[in-house]
Amino acid sequence: MRASDSSLATLWQRTSFGGVLLLVLLIANIFLNPPRFVFTNWGTLIGLAAPLIGAAIASTPAILAGRGGLDLSVGPLMGFVNAIVIKVLFLDNGIASPFVIVPVALITGLVVGCINGFLAAVLRIQPIVATLGTFLVLTGVTLTILPAPLGPAPDWLKSLAGPLSIVPLAAIFLIWAAVKRLPIFGQLMAVGSDDRAAFTAGVPVTQVRFFAYAFGGMLSGIAGLMLTSLIGSADPNIGPTFTLTAIAAVALGGVSLAGGRGSITGATTGALVIFLLQSVLTTFNVSTHLLQLANGAILVTAVVLTALQDRLQRGGAR
Amino acid sequence: MTEAALAANEVALRAGAAPISNEVSGGEIVGLAGLDGHGQERFLKILAGLETAASGAVSFGESPVHGFYDAVSKGIAYLGRDRRATGIFSSLSILDNFAISTVWHDVRSGLISRRARRQRYESFKERLSVVAPDPRLSITTLSGGNQQKILLARLMAMEPQVYLLNDPTRGVDVATRHVLYGVFRELAAAGTSIVILSTEIEEILLLCDRVLVFREDTVAAEIAGAEMTNERVISVMFGEPQ
Repeated sequence: MRASDSSLATLWQRTSFGGVLLLVLLIANIFLNPPRFVFTNWGTLIGLAAPLIGAAIASTPAILAGRGGLDLSVGPLMGFVNAIVIKVLFLDNGIASPFVIVPVALITGLVVGCINGFLAAVLRIQPIVATLGTFLVLTGVTLTILPAPLGPAPDWLKSLAGPLSIVPLAAIFLIWAAVKRLPIFGQLMAVGSDDRAAFTAGVPVTQVRFFAYAFGGMLSGIAGLMLTSLIGSADPNIGPTFTLTAIAAVALGGVSLAGGRGSITGATTGALVIFLLQSVLTTFNVSTHLLQLANGAILVTAVVLTALQDRLQRGGAR
Repeated sequence: MTEAALAANEVALRAGAAPISNEVSGGEIVGLAGLDGHGQERFLKILAGLETAASGAVSFGESPVHGFYDAVSKGIAYLGRDRRATGIFSSLSILDNFAISTVWHDVRSGLISRRARRQRYESFKERLSVVAPDPRLSITTLSGGNQQKILLARLMAMEPQVYLLNDPTRGVDVATRHVLYGVFRELAAAGTSIVILSTEIEEILLLCDRVLVFREDTVAAEIAGAEMTNERVISVMFGEPQ
């Protein structure tokens, strides 16, 4: 009985209010827009939500690392990968093979992630400033490579939109599950929870933080591929819009912005909540300005409620 | 078994303070006493590589100790004073709190094995008689004494050669205290060295082979054997002429 108690509590902790919102919004969507939300259409819907889920998960490691850890460059990095894959590899050099495109996307993400890690963890520049720097640089570089939208994408990549977008999503979940069982992941949670205590416990704090940014960068590479699949072309302007929505999703999913607490389940839940919320509002033909407003309001409410829940739990524990 | 000695060579706690030279060899329990702020805590942290001395150096066996990570890698373990601020990870489970310093020990074919970790934990749980129903729960569900036992288990899992303990029984109940004393004695009997800073003189008298009494950032007296009495230690602590 105790075990089931604590696993329910864990689920609650992992998703917090995001989980409740997800359920409510899903029911609302099914009720309001039956044709779009029939079960047979769920594959398409997941395809639409996939890049945001990817972006949210890619934002998570840096936030888990704590002490203001944040990776603003996730969105532009997705756009950069999108531009490299379509413009440089496919259109300019005629390379369409997934065996080139996937590694290039991953390595591009990893390299940018390492740069972020070097700036934020090794040089200890405030993460928000450091990654704002890479945000701007990447946005600029992407626009230089690709001044205007361009297409198309290789067929195999386009086929990964819709129901098959499950494939890259599953890849991300598998990678995360593996990383979660590496020694460094435990150290990452410890560093995020309390870096001074981690230091006195002999955890190499700087290396662990560096890893968080590098790992997030690599995941952004995958998210960039998911974005490419969805839009089936290259677009220099879409990527950067993902950064803030992804961070909102992560916060909604109960990942503590103070670090050390949160999960991939939470990040995914948060991303789905934002997706479903936008979907509900679209059925009402609400203008995009109001859409932003609703996003913001829900985010603030969720973060406040999560903080309250934290305080209650902590009060109960002592 | 040859035990290397942890040595302070002419360590000055601040410029102008009389330098301290001392050595702790294997199997020994050495106490650090003094009124709060008279340098004993700083001395312990210098030994641990957490702070640097105004002059002088710390060495272990033949080699000098450079900083905290170096000390850890040489088998010198430090237990902090403020459990809540720099000891426990309040958002992690009891099990993860225990294992954080030795995550590599649980790796089986590249990945962490929860089972291996659980087994390691159970052996320490027994040895330290930890009262914890479920190691997957947050560490904050434990009493202060049991949290301290977990922290000690974390240290012991590293199998260090020297333990530097900064007031390890602070805010700990009497029963737990006696468990800890028993463990410290066992560790010393097995050949490890222990340096223990304590704010309670009785504790030092009970546990230690000798005591360094600090006064004004230096060792005012080193007392051992039959001379180790409450009165003597207190009189040195307060700087009374001997």
